[in-house]
Amino acid sequence: MRASTTSHKLYKTLFITLLLAAALVYLAPLYVMLTTSFKGIEEIRNGNILALPDSLNTSAWSKAWSSACTGGDCYGLAPYFWNSMRIVLPAVLISTVIGALNGYVLSQWRFRGSNFLFGALLFGCFIPFQVILLPMAMLLAWLGLANTVTGLVLVHVIYGVAFTTLFFRNYYVGIPTELVRAARLDGAGFFAIFRHVFLPLSSPIIVVSVIWQFTQIWNDFLFGVVYSGPGTQPITVALNNLVNTTMGGKEYNVDMAAAVIAALPTLVVYLVAGKYFVRGLTAGAVKG
Amino acid sequence: MGSIKIQQLTKSFGDTEVLKGIDLDIKDGEFLILVGPSGCGKSTLMNSIAGLEDVSSGDILIDGNNVTDLSPKERDIAMVFQSYALYPTMSVSRNISFGLEMRKVPKAEIEKTVADVSQLLQIEHLLDRKPSALSGGQRQRVAMGRALARNPRVFLFDEPLSNLDAKLRVEMRTEIKKLHKRLGTTIVYVTHDQVEAMTLADRIAVMKDGQVQQFGTPYEIYNNPANRFVADFMGSPPMNFIECVVLDDKLVIESQGEKFELHIKHGERLKQAGVETVILGIRPEMITEPKPHVAGALVHSLPMQVDVTEPMGPDTIAFGQWNGTEIQARLSPEAGVEAQATGLIKVQVDTSKAVLFDAFSGARIDA
Amino acid sequence: MFDYLEKQLPKLIMAPTAIVMLVCMYGFIGWTAVLSFTKSRMLPQWEFVGWEQYERLFANPRWHVALDNLLVFTLLFIIIALLLGLMLAILLDRNIRNDGALRTIYLYPMAVSFIVTGTAWKWILNPGLGIEKMVRDLGFTDFEFRWLVDPDMAIYTIVIAAVWQSSGFVMAMFLAGLRGVDDSLIKAAQMDGASTFRTYWHVILPVMRPVFFGAVVILSHIAIKSFDLVQSLTGGGPGYSSDLPATFMYTHAFSRAQMGLGAASAMVMLAGVMAIIVPYLYSELRGKKS
Repeated sequence: MRASTTSHKLYKTLFITLLLAAALVYLAPLYVMLTTSFKGIEEIRNGNILALPDSLNTSAWSKAWSSACTGGDCYGLAPYFWNSMRIVLPAVLISTVIGALNGYVLSQWRFRGSNFLFGALLFGCFIPFQVILLPMAMLLAWLGLANTVTGLVLVHVIYGVAFTTLFFRNYYVGIPTELVRAARLDGAGFFAIFRHVFLPLSSPIIVVSVIWQFTQIWNDFLFGVVYSGPGTQPITVALNNLVNTTMGGKEYNVDMAAAVIAALPTLVVYLVAGKYFVRGLTAGAVKG
Repeated sequence: MGSIKIQQLTKSFGDTEVLKGIDLDIKDGEFLILVGPSGCGKSTLMNSIAGLEDVSSGDILIDGNNVTDLSPKERDIAMVFQSYALYPTMSVSRNISFGLEMRKVPKAEIEKTVADVSQLLQIEHLLDRKPSALSGGQRQRVAMGRALARNPRVFLFDEPLSNLDAKLRVEMRTEIKKLHKRLGTTIVYVTHDQVEAMTLADRIAVMKDGQVQQFGTPYEIYNNPANRFVADFMGSPPMNFIECVVLDDKLVIESQGEKFELHIKHGERLKQAGVETVILGIRPEMITEPKPHVAGALVHSLPMQVDVTEPMGPDTIAFGQWNGTEIQARLSPEAGVEAQATGLIKVQVDTSKAVLFDAFSGARIDA
Repeated sequence: MFDYLEKQLPKLIMAPTAIVMLVCMYGFIGWTAVLSFTKSRMLPQWEFVGWEQYERLFANPRWHVALDNLLVFTLLFIIIALLLGLMLAILLDRNIRNDGALRTIYLYPMAVSFIVTGTAWKWILNPGLGIEKMVRDLGFTDFEFRWLVDPDMAIYTIVIAAVWQSSGFVMAMFLAGLRGVDDSLIKAAQMDGASTFRTYWHVILPVMRPVFFGAVVILSHIAIKSFDLVQSLTGGGPGYSSDLPATFMYTHAFSRAQMGLGAASAMVMLAGVMAIIVPYLYSELRGKKS
């Protein structure tokens, strides 16, 4: 009996050690990014990548934010940060609203062919976007939306709706149809039922959808690099340009500060609402 | 204010016909029960009355007005659902008032109605709670309150008691009956429980495979079933069905290797029908221990080998075999004890209420 | 009239989505398919050349490098991420206190953009100043770690970064699966005298098969679509040694004015994804019905 508790304790210590070691490895890149961003160039060249900075030198941060060169111009990441915001906020809002209504219809107001529609939409979550890149570019040009923020919003809404619909549909499907029936007998119509019965129930899934869409669109690079022009690029594209700009000596501290700036909004969202983030990730993957 | 006429109603989902021409005439203030096994179409019929499902053909008239194409809210009908379907984010009082709110009833009137209804159902103390904080029985009351508040022309009840435990179910059953007496509003009530059907209904429509098998009072349904299905479905323990050879105007029963002849009420009709075998339908309470005060041409005495007995309290069900079919007899508790001990008893068979069915189609042949 | 509208409302609500989906997903797939059979270069041209673009594609050594890389990358990425994720999930499932904090740490890379991940790892793996220098500073002066600039090894740096980013997600999926396993099942196994290891191997893991498949599908989907990470970490280089189909497609369709060829490569990618997704979705939807 005693022996087994000892070995049990031993195992537990081993497990925890392994878990903590893994945690250190996962944290290492963030640590390196942060420490590097506060170092001076000389300190980087001569010092150790894992060493703490000698002092908190914030010049790399201000440069990354306002004066670093991203390809053609040298205004730092700031304009692109706001570009991303201007793309992300409307796209998240619109795709969530549409997804909620779609999900409401597909779960509670089914009609002939609605299941097929859902299947077709679900499939859309999985297509590699490379296959729509070229025609979409032509459509945007035809609409006069090439290289515009509006165009990017449109693209993100179109390909985000498949996911938001999936979220809301799978959430609403768990609500008994009898609620709709009861409300219809009570004299409520399509929108009244949505507003009074479904919307008050939806806070968790709205959070999931908003977080998912925010992360996806903020982190998007493919659509950003293909459909934006100079001046409308989102922050991921700007960061990539900044890092790969080859003029002058490499300023790793600026690169790292810029990377952290680009990562900050989604990291904050993740830390604040991590529970919902995980739910979004696993939605549709683990059983509905 | 609340008569319903259903004419030649059909409903199909794709190739499957769920309702095959239903005709029902429900009088104002009547308590009608739709009963049948699951999948018989009773819920579809109820949803069609409510307007929650489109029908394929036929008409539904409420108070003489054709409502077949009207939306649910225009039909002035309220419904109590099996799952109660209470709005989870609303308080009890808003659950009750929501229908009135949607119909733009003045606020003062809404408040008065909520107060009246909650008093009637004794749920005043629950008004501020959310449905999730209620017990099953309380939810049931709130669901009924929501229906009552609207004061509709017709109430629909969709298996409202099936989620309650046995004791509560009996209590609520009585309460619903009292409520109906008091309000006098037409009720259409769906259930698969034949006891509920017998105890509550003014009239019962027994359904099977999308058709009404019989439409009548509980007394008619029980004592004069239209066919073998209805006879089998209604009554617990169920009616005995014994296949018998016909001998002139009598039926032959074999028990313990001996043959007995049973006289029946409509012997001459049986003779005219000229069939060789029929199904004798006889309820367990007509096979009892000998009762000296009951006598006549239709009372017989037969031996019965008892395999098992099931004491129910007021009486005991004894299982035996006649003509190779299992039969159930309803004995007094004392006779039950004796039957259990000896395994062989004499029983009295009273065929005055027995019915006869065609051996193949199950149709009545003596009515 | 109003009633009729109210009845059609659900369809009306779905109509825009249905139309846009029809055009912008299925229509565009068709469009790309048509483009892949034309000789389009800078601009779409509607001169049909049959399978020529596909023949060019598969005669292109760069495409073969991209396909080989995809195979290596996908296999390593999935296997390592699965093993790591499963291990972390099982360890976490052993009733460790404060597992919330640990889970947060394992999963945060998933919240970060692939561009950021690429930027960070590019710095860490930097031959002159990164890990190599760190180890040399420790006294191993001959230590070499320059995968980032080694054409034979560059693809493995992408595996490292991708595993770092996605294994936490696998952990989350497995952990959700493990926590969902019926307790009585585990108790029954223990009553039968099974050891912890055997309980996992014979009882719990088989129950998690759907989670396992789900994870494989999602990881392979991430792998095939991988574009951002390659762009930011290696840029497909050195040369084109770490190209993947996604970067190949982008380069040819948008930088090299080879629209037809780009379209053909996109169609091949679609076929690859379909080969994995369609059976999965089919079995998922089937399974739910029964």
